[in-house]
This record gives sequence, structure tokens and C-alpha cells, in this order.
Amino acid sequence: MKNLKNDLNKLDELSRRQFVARTAKAALGVSILPVAGTSAKVLAAGGGTAEHCIFFYMAGGMTHMDTFDPKPGTETGGKTAGIPTGVPGVELAEFMPQLAKRFSDIAVVRSMTQKTGDHRGGSYWMHTSYQPRATIIHPSMGPWAAKLLGKKHETLPDSVVIGGGGNHPGAGFFGPSLSPLPIGDPDRGVQNSDLPEGVSDKQFDRRYKLMNTFDETFRSEFKTDEVTAYTQFYDETLKLMSSDDLETFKLSNEANYDQKVAAYGDTRVGKGAMLAKRLVSSGIRFVEVQAGGWDMHNDLWNDIPERAGSLDMALAALIDDLKAEGLFEKTLIVLGTEFGRTPKINANGGRDHHPRVFSGMFAGGGIAGGQAYGKSDKLGMAVEEDPVDPRDFNATIAHALGMDLNKVVYSSSGRPFLVAGHKQDRASGKVVSEGKPIAALFG
Amino acid sequence: MKSLNQHWLTAISALFLVSTSVQAEMREWTSSDGKKLEAEFVGTSGAGATALVKLKMPNGTTVSYPISKLSADDRVFVKSSLPDDPMALAAEIDKLVLNNMKKSYYGLRDEFVAIPQNTELTNAEKAKRRAEIEREMKMCVPNDMTNDSQFMRRIYLDLAGRIPTYDEAERFLESRSATKRADLINELLETEAFSMRMFNYFSDLLRVRDSLVMGGGGQLKATAYIEWIKSSIRDDKPYDQFVREMLTAEGTVWDNPATGYMVTDNGMRLCNVSNTFTVFLGTEITCAQCHDHPFEQVKQIDFYRMASFLGEYDTRARDGMNYRAEVERMSKVLLDAGKLRPNTVFDNRLNLILGTKRTKVSDTGRQVVELPHDYKYDNGEPNQQVAPAAYFGDTVNLEKYPNPRLAFADWLTSPGNPRFTVNIVNRLWKLAFGLGQIEPVDNIPGHLDGQAENYELLKFLEQMMVDQGYSIKDFFRVVCNTQTYQRKSENMSPTLTQIDNGSYHFPGPILRRMSAEQLWDSMVTLTTANPDEMVSRGAVEYREVMNVDVTELKTADQIEDFKMRFSRIGNITGGESTMMMGADAGRIGGERMVRASEMPAPQPPGHFLRMFGQSDKTLIENQSTHGSTPQVMALLNGSITNKVLTSPDAYLIKEIAYGDGKKGDKIDKIFLSVLGRYPYPHEKRAAASGLRARNDGETPRSDEEKEIAAIGDVIWALVNTREFIFVQ
Repeated sequence: MKNLKNDLNKLDELSRRQFVARTAKAALGVSILPVAGTSAKVLAAGGGTAEHCIFFYMAGGMTHMDTFDPKPGTETGGKTAGIPTGVPGVELAEFMPQLAKRFSDIAVVRSMTQKTGDHRGGSYWMHTSYQPRATIIHPSMGPWAAKLLGKKHETLPDSVVIGGGGNHPGAGFFGPSLSPLPIGDPDRGVQNSDLPEGVSDKQFDRRYKLMNTFDETFRSEFKTDEVTAYTQFYDETLKLMSSDDLETFKLSNEANYDQKVAAYGDTRVGKGAMLAKRLVSSGIRFVEVQAGGWDMHNDLWNDIPERAGSLDMALAALIDDLKAEGLFEKTLIVLGTEFGRTPKINANGGRDHHPRVFSGMFAGGGIAGGQAYGKSDKLGMAVEEDPVDPRDFNATIAHALGMDLNKVVYSSSGRPFLVAGHKQDRASGKVVSEGKPIAALFG
Repeated sequence: MKSLNQHWLTAISALFLVSTSVQAEMREWTSSDGKKLEAEFVGTSGAGATALVKLKMPNGTTVSYPISKLSADDRVFVKSSLPDDPMALAAEIDKLVLNNMKKSYYGLRDEFVAIPQNTELTNAEKAKRRAEIEREMKMCVPNDMTNDSQFMRRIYLDLAGRIPTYDEAERFLESRSATKRADLINELLETEAFSMRMFNYFSDLLRVRDSLVMGGGGQLKATAYIEWIKSSIRDDKPYDQFVREMLTAEGTVWDNPATGYMVTDNGMRLCNVSNTFTVFLGTEITCAQCHDHPFEQVKQIDFYRMASFLGEYDTRARDGMNYRAEVERMSKVLLDAGKLRPNTVFDNRLNLILGTKRTKVSDTGRQVVELPHDYKYDNGEPNQQVAPAAYFGDTVNLEKYPNPRLAFADWLTSPGNPRFTVNIVNRLWKLAFGLGQIEPVDNIPGHLDGQAENYELLKFLEQMMVDQGYSIKDFFRVVCNTQTYQRKSENMSPTLTQIDNGSYHFPGPILRRMSAEQLWDSMVTLTTANPDEMVSRGAVEYREVMNVDVTELKTADQIEDFKMRFSRIGNITGGESTMMMGADAGRIGGERMVRASEMPAPQPPGHFLRMFGQSDKTLIENQSTHGSTPQVMALLNGSITNKVLTSPDAYLIKEIAYGDGKKGDKIDKIFLSVLGRYPYPHEKRAAASGLRARNDGETPRSDEEKEIAAIGDVIWALVNTREFIFVQ
């Protein structure tokens, strides 16, 4: 036991040294990791062409019946009509006209399924490939990419979550050094990065000098690692505040700002998509855009035109924008949610939680567009063909980005985990990936 | 500064040794290994588990016997002669700490001297080892004692969870009483601030979230459970009883708040077993859920035998009440009165509130734990049920108990459980000193000897906890009165090897960054006259609301009133909020400045508390004190340092800097408020230069504006120092 403890602590020591080293390198939650190449096998299977990922997460449970898998004219279809996509027999809901026009660029998955009808549990599973446990937090996909693929950019963070809520699993047991940088409001960029109103540069310098004077005695007596690390964080933050890196997070500096806002939509999801594009063009690998308001228990048809419409606009503008910059083929766009909504319309004109079947979407980054993968049944109640669970969903993301699905990463207590969930292979006894990429999506 | 030349004997002889004498009396004594002896009882020296018993032999010689070497009967006989006051016990702890440190010091010195003769090491390795030893030897000399300022700030942060207010600081520093440190310890242990501080600790350990159940829509409130924890601390409920009440509680969380613990892992029974072991026994058995533990003596079947103790309780109420029908009836009433949202006919909120009535802890008598479907060892079959049994500690006689959960609670909290008491003293020691006697604290080995930093000390603390009836307050009363605690913080970081080997011997406490809650609560202290005054209370109201007979709610007004009462549960009360109700309560400079223990938990990720590492309450001890860039940006540019502390409503500005009838220098007062000390001359000069500064080319200002700006600069600068966020 003593030896195991020693080994684990050596790991800790390494991460502590890195923790200190990293402050000298970069400040926005960045760490030094070895860069790994994508294996030939993954490349042969069409994976690994995506260098970036923009993950749209529809919090609350996006209705599949009224977005990507409409059932017009059936007893469960409600008031939602369908519109043609150019692919015979495949329609999108009427609220998504822009995506219908760009259907040749997107692949819709209509056979998503999972087991839990509670928001937190469902969202957790979608983000991590694991069901929640009260003894560990599993990492989400952005940190997994950093862990398995290495750092993407010298000074910028590897992953960013825009508009996230309180329950994002973040880097889980990978620890804070791989945590996604949270951005609350896309318009406001990194929290507290500007001098407060009314404080001039001159006053700031004066204060800072005063702080150093007051702190001299303490810092010369206590030269512990922790105190030194904090002092380095101060130095680095000052550098960061005057560096170009922060510009990356300032949406208002985007060229043709007004024109772009008009295209993406002046909405949370629109601005989120716009910022995500900006971050991706600056070299950040994984950006998650969270958009809420999908928990439509009441009066669904009052909310859906605007909710689905703003998503439609944002995704369409993003596709166009990425194409214009030549980034579409390098950027995987993914859309996910914790569950769908009941085909049966409830007494309040809404739909309730429905994990049995729901929809997702993929585009760009090596995805063959113009297809609907998997099928729900006639009424949208259950999967009829090709079920895809959250592990397969994440395996697809991992595959597109060129991650090794079978790479085992151990938690600090020595438990093995894989990017798309794990199981024990009966024949070899080895721990292998439970999730399988959707091969049909890779042209 | 401490020096290596400091003589060990002076440190030891400086200790106050307590001796007592009693009337001589001849009796027969029995040693713990059964030997008998006739002798007169002369008296005792020392205290607690390490006390010596002085016996006068028939031949007239006096011998000192360690109390631990005597039989149980003999120990009872001398017990009344032993001092049990905190000072005597504190002195014993100091002795044990110093003896251990001294032993290590001489051991290291011998090794150092022998290095040249060591033929197995290269010269480079010798040099490296020499440097390591020198460093460790420096850490084997007790630090100097803290001055009053340092002690005051530390004891306030440790026991009250915040820095002292200006008035508290002034009062303590000006006191001339010889017992003022001990008096302050006693005083702080009886404050509400102490329960707030310890609540923050326990809520991280027990994962107390406002909405108790992880799924479930957030309507099952922890209000009553939170207040039960706080009052248990306030009343100094014996810790073993506190744990037993949680493990055995039955009913709903509003009628029996202690059920909050069993409800926390609702639907995750096996996780609850693992968590219970980690929290209360300092033992990680999660691995054994899936396979035999590779290093510890715990097999997979042991896990399921333990889990079977907790295999007959349920968190689902089975009272047959049709709440859905009631919600439909009440929805109809609201609809007819035009009180529902447009286009809705069913009140979802009522549904969520009444839905919580389905969560209730009871013992069903049906065992649901079984071995996993892929169980692969020879000692059991897949899906087989196994009888509850403990793999260490006392043997459990299930027949004595109406259900296995009660048996488990007794087994776990028994002083005969080798890990229960050690776990809590180790955790509390860590809270006071920054490092446990055993690290990591959730890895208490089966055999302590040789694994703990200081085995004798750990056994002493364990016995003391039992003798003091598991009083947490008494534990701190002793520990905070030790010289070990009252020494200066160590100015070097122990290496991880040192921590792992238990070779940090506590020359003083570790220098720690304030916890997120200590930091936030210190900010609250700077902004309000009485930071502990505003509290969140709602247990009584919650119980009343949930016990309303909803079938009696007939009119729309009654139903609306019911919903309104529910939504108000847990509002902040006390202090000025009696005038400023609701959303404005406690608001200063746009932020709600109320102590962390009284705020919703967890806070959203962007909140100051979360940024500085407050636990999200999903995992045990999930708080962190690591630094980050967002933290620094919050202190440099955020609203707390730029708007709240310098707001005209903030106590520091309104009363301390500009208050009526307060004399003295503004800079002195601000230093004392923020750092708990007066400024050094060079600091005072630097601060004052801002006050005298001419208009510096920015917007021209009046003298008063300049002064306010300069005061703001001083406050900003002080709060941004490392000295402020670290606990010296």
C-alpha cells in the first residue's frame, strides 16, 4: 500500500510542478501536455480530419418532434409542419428553414437514446459517457481531447464553455488544469478581464505598487510553493490583461460585427455561435455553446418558433462563416441534448421528458452531410433503427477528432476510464471502449 | 527566526508539567498483561492517555507507571485524580509533538554525520541527500510563538471562519489579561460564527446541497437538515451521536431533518455505502464494489456484506396518497380563478412541491443488496444475497436490533471501531494544522503503528476524544491552547514525500490559503458591523408548510398562499434585513454580503465563492485552495474589491474610516481591519503618500475626493496581498 501511495503521490508531485510551471507559460487554465499523433487506423476510418469541435448543447431536453424529427399529420405531431430538405422522404420541422436549405452539409441522427429522464443525470451522461456516481466526476469531451491529443495552442485554453450552467462536469478527475474556461455572456468575454469602470491605468499601477509594498515582509518570510504560485498568477494575469490573447474573447472586435450579428441572430445562441467561430479561428480546439429554454412542459407552440428559429439561424450562419474561412472541413459541429420530449402532448400543451428516443446533429469535420441516420418509430416514441446512446455519440466526436477510443486513463484512486465509456472485453480481459463511432457518418 | 542551535532541553523543560498528589492508600494493582502488585497510590503526573501513575512500593521506593500499562479497573480508580482541564491536556500534546520532533532531529543528524562513510552513494547523491536532510532538520525545530496579532487572526479564521472585525481586533490587542488567548478561544467556541465555520466544513464533507436530491427538480429542500447540522454544532452534540442520528433517522426531511444524510445519495445505495466509509471511517472501499481490493484487506464480498447492512432501507414513501389527483384538483381551482399561466391547465410547481412528499426514509425489512451479476469469486454466486457482516471492528449481533441499519450505526460509532474516532480526530487535527496525522485523510490503514506521523499522539487524541464524550468544542479547546498550534506557521512547504512518510512533525501549523468561505466571510466582515447577524432560517416554516393538509386547500387564495409560503422558506433574516426584506437583504455595493453558510449552496460557477474553490457539493471534500487566473482577475478588477469594500455603505468606509466619534489614524484602522495588525512605518509612509498626492493629471479632484480614492487604493492593495489570503 505504501508503494501505491508513493506512486500516486509522484503523479501528484508532477502535476504540482506542472501547476507551478504552467503559470510561467500561460495563464488561462493552460497546461503543458505532450502532443500525440492520430493513429493510421483512425485516419483510415475517416476520423481525425476535425481539428476543432463546436458542441451545441440544448439544455432542458430539446423536442425531437418539433426540430429534427417532425411527425406531421400523426396523432403526436401537434401543430408542427414539415419542410423538404432536398433528400426524398426526409423533412425537418418548419421552424428550421435555413438548415433545411443546407441539408447537404449536415447529418441528422434520429435514433439517440438513453436511460434517465432527469436533467442532471441525462446531461451528465451526454457530456461524459458515464452515468453520475457520487464518488467521482468524469471529465467532459473538451478536457478528454486535451488529455488524449495534447495541447492545441501555446497560450490559449484548450476548451471553453459558453453560457454553461452550474452542473457542467468540466475536467472532472483530470483536475483544474484541464478545466474549460467558462464564459458566461458571449458579449462580455472573460469575466473581470477589463479594469473596472473609473479606474485608470495610472491608478491601477499605483495600487499595484502599493500592494507590493504592503506584501514585501510577508513574501520574504513565506516562500512556500503556494505563495510563490499566487505571485506568479498575479504576474501572469497582468501580462494577460495587456496581451492579445484577451482580444480573442472580445466578440465586438469581430470584423463586420453588425453584419454578422444580423446573420447569426442577436440571441444567446447566435452570439454564442459567433464567439465559438471566433475562438476556433484563433486556434482553440473545443468550444461548447450551451443554450437553454428547451424544457417545454407548457405551451410548447408559443415558445418553439423562436427557440428553434434562433438555433436554426445560428447554425446556418456558423456553417456559412466557417466555409467562408475555409474552416468547415476542419471543424466538427455537433448538437446534443439530454433527452427528447414525449410525443404525447400534455394537458398544458407541452411535452414532458422522453429519454427513449431523441435527435442530434453532426456537420463539418469529415462528416458526410445530406443524411438522416437512424429512425424513430411512426409516432416518435422509440428507436426503430440503429440506436445511438451517449457513448456512441461521444465516440463519434472522439473519432472525428482523432482520439484513441481505447486509451485508458486512470483516476487518482486507480480506476480506469475511457473517452466513450468502458467495458471489459470477454476474450482478452482488457478494458475497451463501450461506445462505437457511427461509421456511416464518415464519408 | 528559529535557529538550529536552539537547545532541545530548553524547549522541553519549558513545558508546564501538571502533578497532583492524593492521600496514600494501599491497594492491589494489575498491569494490562495481568501482573499484580501491592502499592500505595501517591498521585499522577501529566494528563490524558499518557499520564503517569506514581506508586509507592512497600519497600519505600516510588515508581511511575504509564496509565496505559494498567488494567481497566485501575484506570477507573485513578481517573478522578487526573487533571482533565484543557491546559493540562494541551501540555501533553506539546510534549508528544516535541519528543517526536526531537527524535527525528537526532535521527537526521546521525544520518547526516554518517553520509561521508556511505559507500553506496555517488558524490552527487550525497550532496543531494545532505541538502534534503538539512532542509528537514530545519523543519524539526519548533517555530517561534505567534505574536498576538498573528494568533488573533488565525484563531478567528479557524474558529469563527472569518477575520476579526475592527472592534474585536482592537479589544483583543489592547487586553492586558494574562489568559486572554485561552479566554478568546472559550469565547469564540460559543459564538454563532463557530457553527457557521464548522457547518462549512461539514457541508463539504457531507455534500449538503440546497436541493437535496440530485435529480428531482430541486424542490426537496435541505433547509431543515442544514439547520439541524448547525444546531448540532452550536449545542456541541457529541459527534458519535450526531453520526448515529444521521445513519438511523427515519421519516421525511422536514419532520426529521437528520434523514437528509440518507437521502443525499437517493437511488445510489452502493455509492452511499462507499461515501459513508470515506466520511466516517476514513476508508476508501469504492474499489471493492467491483473487485477485491488489491492493497487493502478488503474483498469484494466484504463490500457487499457491509452494504447489506444498508440494504433494507428505502427513500420512497409508500403511503398510497394520490398527490397527482390533488394537484389536478387544485389546478382546476387556480384555472377557474384565472391564476394559471396562459394556455396551461396543470400547475407544475404544485406538482413538484407535492412530489417531494414521496421522499421518506423507512426500513422495509426487504433486503435488496445482492452480489453483482458478474460476480467472479468462489465465495459467492452472482445475484446472491449475503448476510450483513463487518470485516473489522466489533462483531455484530444482528439479533439485538430491529433492523440492520441500527446495528450498522452502533458498529460504526462504537469506540471499539478502530477507525471511527481516529478518523474524526485526524480530520479535526488537519482543520487546525493544515495537515493530518495520517495523509490522505480518507486512507486510514488497518494498522496505525508506523503509518501515522506520530502514533503516540494519535492514540492520545483518540483517547481524549472518547474521554471528552466526543465533544468537538472541547477538542478544539485543547488543541488551540497547545503551543504547537500557537507557534508561527511553517515558512517552507513540506514536500509530498514528507507528507506521505509522515515526516512533517508540526514545528507549527502549515501556512494555508484561506478556504473560499473564509475569504468570502472575511469580505463580509469588512462590509458589515456584525457579520454573523444575518442568518437563513426556515426549518420550522418548512415543517409547517409540508404538514399542511392540502385536501383542505379549497380556494385559489389558499392555494396561492401555500405556494407563497413554500417559496419563502429559508429567506435571510436578522440584522438590518428586518427593514430590508427579500432581495435587498444584506446588499452592499450591489452584492449580497451574507456569510457563506447562510447562502444557497452550491453557488453558480461564476460566483466569487466558487471561483475561489467552494465545493460544488457533489463529491466529498471537493473544495480547493489552488490559485487561478480568474481568481486574480476577480481580486484585481471584480466588484468585491472595487465596488463592495469601498462602497459608502460598507462598514469599513462608513464606520471605521469615517465613523463618528472614532479617533485615531485612518490608515491604522484600515490595516487593523484587513490584516489584523498595525502598519510598519514604511507601509504607513507608502499609504499616506496617496492621501497627500496632488492631482496627478487625471480628472481634477477635491481634497475629499482624493482622500476617498486614496483610501480605496489602500483597501484594494491590502486585500490583494498574499498576507491577506493566507492564514499565517
